[in-house]
Amino acid sequence: MSIIKAENINKTYNENTIPVHALNHVNLEIDRGEFTAIVGPSGCGKTTLLNILGGLDQPTTGKVTISDTEITSMKDSELIDFRLKNIGFVFQAYNLIPVLTTAENVEFIMLLQKRPKEERDQRGMELLREMGIEEKARQRPSQLSGGQQQRVAVARALASKPQFVLADEPTANLDSTSTTQLLDIMAKMNEEEGATFVFSTHDQRVIDKARRVVTLEDGKIVSDEKR
Amino acid sequence: MLIKIAWRNIWRSKGRSMVVMGSIIVGIWALISAVGFMNGFMVGYMADIINHDISNIQIHNPEFKSDQEVKYVIPDGKKKVNEIRKWTEVEGATSRIIVSGMIASARKGSAVQIRGVDKSNEAKVTELDSLVNEGTYFDGIKRNPILLGKKLAEELKVKVKSKVILTFMDESGTPISARFRVAGIINTSSVNLNEMTAFVLNEDIGRLLGSYEIHEIAILTMPRIEEEVVLNKYNDLFKGDLVETWTQVAPELELLNEMYGSMMYVLVFIVMMALVFGIVNTMLMAVLERIRELGMLMAVGMTRIKVFLMVLLETIFLGILGSPIGLFFGWLMMYYYTTNGIDLSAYSEGLESFGYSSILYPYVDSSTYLIVTVSVIITAFIGAVYPAWKAIKLKPVEALHAI
Repeated sequence: MSIIKAENINKTYNENTIPVHALNHVNLEIDRGEFTAIVGPSGCGKTTLLNILGGLDQPTTGKVTISDTEITSMKDSELIDFRLKNIGFVFQAYNLIPVLTTAENVEFIMLLQKRPKEERDQRGMELLREMGIEEKARQRPSQLSGGQQQRVAVARALASKPQFVLADEPTANLDSTSTTQLLDIMAKMNEEEGATFVFSTHDQRVIDKARRVVTLEDGKIVSDEKR
Repeated sequence: MLIKIAWRNIWRSKGRSMVVMGSIIVGIWALISAVGFMNGFMVGYMADIINHDISNIQIHNPEFKSDQEVKYVIPDGKKKVNEIRKWTEVEGATSRIIVSGMIASARKGSAVQIRGVDKSNEAKVTELDSLVNEGTYFDGIKRNPILLGKKLAEELKVKVKSKVILTFMDESGTPISARFRVAGIINTSSVNLNEMTAFVLNEDIGRLLGSYEIHEIAILTMPRIEEEVVLNKYNDLFKGDLVETWTQVAPELELLNEMYGSMMYVLVFIVMMALVFGIVNTMLMAVLERIRELGMLMAVGMTRIKVFLMVLLETIFLGILGSPIGLFFGWLMMYYYTTNGIDLSAYSEGLESFGYSSILYPYVDSSTYLIVTVSVIITAFIGAVYPAWKAIKLKPVEALHAI
């Protein structure tokens, strides 16, 4: 059963001046538990597609349905709440809150969800343990390596028990060792917790790990390969 | 968590936070100082005139106000003043015989108001004795002692024990001249007392006029007693006299008081505006520097109102931190200068010609500290609204990719 359904998505920037068609009649369905990579050259529309799937951006035409809820017709405030409850995000630049410790960063989303403190503490530490950075719980992001920061970001994305996690070029800023470690963790979370991951990438190591590879070119899906 | 993030955020850029805190500290200190100095100038000036010249309440024959002739006396004035002194609302009351006339020394002459006073009661009501700068308070001269203002004495070129001639008319219009000897010279910031008044004793001027009927009763009310209370009591007991509070006797002082209030508002507004722009500028920088972070917060599900509150909280925290320091510096400055005064004697000629004292004693009452603090915190709050509004206007998708 698909949890993400994108139907006939078009996205055009600068409609009134020089139009740029970032996405062109994109149709995509992603099932629960998938580990999907959206790949393609720079400027092919990967990030735009991810932003639209995550409710951060609106398509020019078309609709996105997440578990039977159409998000493209939602108001801004409804979208914020929807994202909080249903979607986890991992960003290329980690985007952790620099003034909070590692543990606080992970707990932050649960706090926004108004989860009880005990649950927050327990889930936060459990995720940090899974990510192999339990001992860094009291350190601030600036005291961690890039790989460690991205693992915190993955833990934060999973903390809210989202329906799926969207990761935009999660390994772009990481070295080879950190990339491997992060991919192993994400694959493990996918297998053990059934977490659904959708990530944009052009990193071959990530593509090799993916169980489904959707290729975009000039805003169109040119191949959709399941392994 | 919101409070925690806001609190820690203010320490991310210590320099910038110090700038905002510094603005708040200087804002509070400047306002307290400005209020203190203005109080010292204006309230001191007004208090001088009220305490040493007008007093709280004056009573006259209604005709005396428009035409200061000797015949317009207060009927049974002495009885009335004796009665008033018994009232619990009154600290002191004194009677005066007032005549317009000329004063002449061997060198020069000048028009003056000759004010006959009750020696001991005048001292109680207006502390005239405390103004004596040279010589004595009517003592040491056997016959017809007189007190002159410093400026008048300088103009007449007389000193203590010099002789002067007072010329005035009695009730029938007969000119009277009498020789007086300067017992003391008074120094006050009141232009009226310093330049245009000669003080003599009631018994001397009464003897010369051939009548001891009085023209003026001056009343000093007890502290915290409204003048209206005494005024109403007098009107209930005695009919037909003109009873006026200091605001009616000297409406220009009331006007000055109102003008002073308006000036304070303008001053507060200017300081607050400078503070608002300082805070807007600095907090806007803080927001623009964190665009990506704010975009991330909204992307992961933090509501716009929480983002707005977070930016506001940061400024409020800075206000809460800066206010006590600003208050302390303001209080310290006021404490020092209220005790020691500020010597403006280098400018005393100019100041005294406008009726100001050469030693300025600034002061602020305790409510000023509260008002200034609350005003500055509200200003800081207003200054933070625009940056906070800018923060919530960010689109997460654009903010996340901002450079």
